[in-house]
Amino acid sequence: MRMLIAVVSLFLLASASAAEAHAFLDHASPLVGSTVPTAPHQVSLTFTQNLEAAFSTVEVTDANGVRVDQGKAQVSGNTMQIGLKALPPGSYKVQWHALSVDTHTTQGAFSFRVGAP
Amino acid sequence: MDWHDTMIYVRAVHFAACMLTAGVVFFTVFIVPPVWADSDFVKGLPAFRARLLAAAWISLAVSVISGALWLLFTAQSMSGEPLPDVLSQGVIWTVLTRTEFGNAWLLRLVAGGLLAATFAGLFPAQRRPARAIASVAVVLAAVFVGGLAWAGHAIGASGLEGTIHPAADVLHLIAAAAWIGTLPFLVPLFAATEHGAMPMALVRAATLRFSALGIVSVGTLFATGVVNSWYLVGSIAALTETFYGKLLLVKVALFFGMVAIAAVNRLRFTPRLMGNGIAAFRQLRRNAVIETLGGAIVVGVVAVLGTLPPASHAHHHAAYGAVPKGAAFVHIHTEEGMADVTIKPGHTGEAHATIRLWNGDFESLDARKVTVTLTPPTPGGKAATRIAVQDADGAWQVNRLDLTEPGNWTVTVDAALGPDSHLVLDAPIVIDPEQ
Repeated sequence: MRMLIAVVSLFLLASASAAEAHAFLDHASPLVGSTVPTAPHQVSLTFTQNLEAAFSTVEVTDANGVRVDQGKAQVSGNTMQIGLKALPPGSYKVQWHALSVDTHTTQGAFSFRVGAP
Repeated sequence: MDWHDTMIYVRAVHFAACMLTAGVVFFTVFIVPPVWADSDFVKGLPAFRARLLAAAWISLAVSVISGALWLLFTAQSMSGEPLPDVLSQGVIWTVLTRTEFGNAWLLRLVAGGLLAATFAGLFPAQRRPARAIASVAVVLAAVFVGGLAWAGHAIGASGLEGTIHPAADVLHLIAAAAWIGTLPFLVPLFAATEHGAMPMALVRAATLRFSALGIVSVGTLFATGVVNSWYLVGSIAALTETFYGKLLLVKVALFFGMVAIAAVNRLRFTPRLMGNGIAAFRQLRRNAVIETLGGAIVVGVVAVLGTLPPASHAHHHAAYGAVPKGAAFVHIHTEEGMADVTIKPGHTGEAHATIRLWNGDFESLDARKVTVTLTPPTPGGKAATRIAVQDADGAWQVNRLDLTEPGNWTVTVDAALGPDSHLVLDAPIVIDPEQ
């Protein structure tokens, strides 16, 4: 019984903290779904977990599906950055594929817009 | 049988084989010495020793083969390439040299190889193993089994968690090997005693050593298990409401069941080894078999747990982990709340939209009513507003959307949260031309 009380109280304590283990997009710059007045020079993605550089990718395309990124993403810890070509006003799609260091893959996409809001 | 099922079997076999590989080393070094000590007088010793050596080789061989399969499947999953390409295009090498998982596998392979080199000295024919060889073997076995932490959910966080969680997991794995990995080897030891091939006093001394190691292991498993649950489950609700949490409860229940049997062994049967020994040995052997079966089920549960997203972010997984192929997806993020909008297929024609709502802390957001408006890219195009229907999972669904043209549509989600409270979110979403 004493053991049971100990377990329950430890789990209650545990509920005070929740952490991440798979790599999900935490935030991005430009912000997900945002409209930015001037063209950004890069897209920066921050994930909830550290990434494996060898197997994590990001691609930025314009409304016609043409790639507008510089080709190779830089991965450091839990962030992934990719340089952009000069972007004319319009809508752009960011598609990412992340491999977290615990070997799980996640992927997602979002768009942002360059131009007047 | 699909990839996911195959992976569960491979993981289960690998975990079990690694537990036994490390277990036979721990057993030989920590449990058996009283029996070794009097080896000249023990007639059952050569046969028992031969059994341990055979078990060590078989466990290690199965570990290496199942570990290679695990590496192969993981490389395939990481690269998204078909198996033949994984083998021919150097993906395995990239995984081994450029990922943490691969580095851990390389280290474990080296540790396993060196461990194999100690076997001749660890199970000598006529004497107890030299202290140096025994110490080296214990360290290598601990690296071999503890390195498995790098194949699990304990890895990848930053800061304090990035240190504490892997350390707890390594200790958890070593303690598990010291308990459920050594248990199966007690069975033939007890059986030999019942048949008169082992002196009762020596086996009793070995049993007391196992008991001491068991108490340390169980304490370590409990403490490190709480740390792991802290990071991976996060809340009581996640423990009872997610499949991950429920499976973890099954594991915890099995653990306490096994601890209860161990307590009976320790408090009831072990003291009786002094008196009417044979009956007590028989009881202990039976309980060791039951505990071993419990341990095998725990290993199976662990094999499944590792393939599931931990409960602490099952909700995140719904948001990003499972964007269907060919779907258009946008995550709309504001201080007040967030929406994930998936339109499938993400090209012109008839499509279906799924909307998930979250609050600022990424917890599911309850809405009374949700309407979705899709505005076409062409200025002056007619926007269509539809009422979404909530499904059993809490997601909001809209059927038969007519996407008339490709380009940058605008999706507007209007969620009625209360009588006077609305959350309105909008964002562009890219619809491709039909292929």
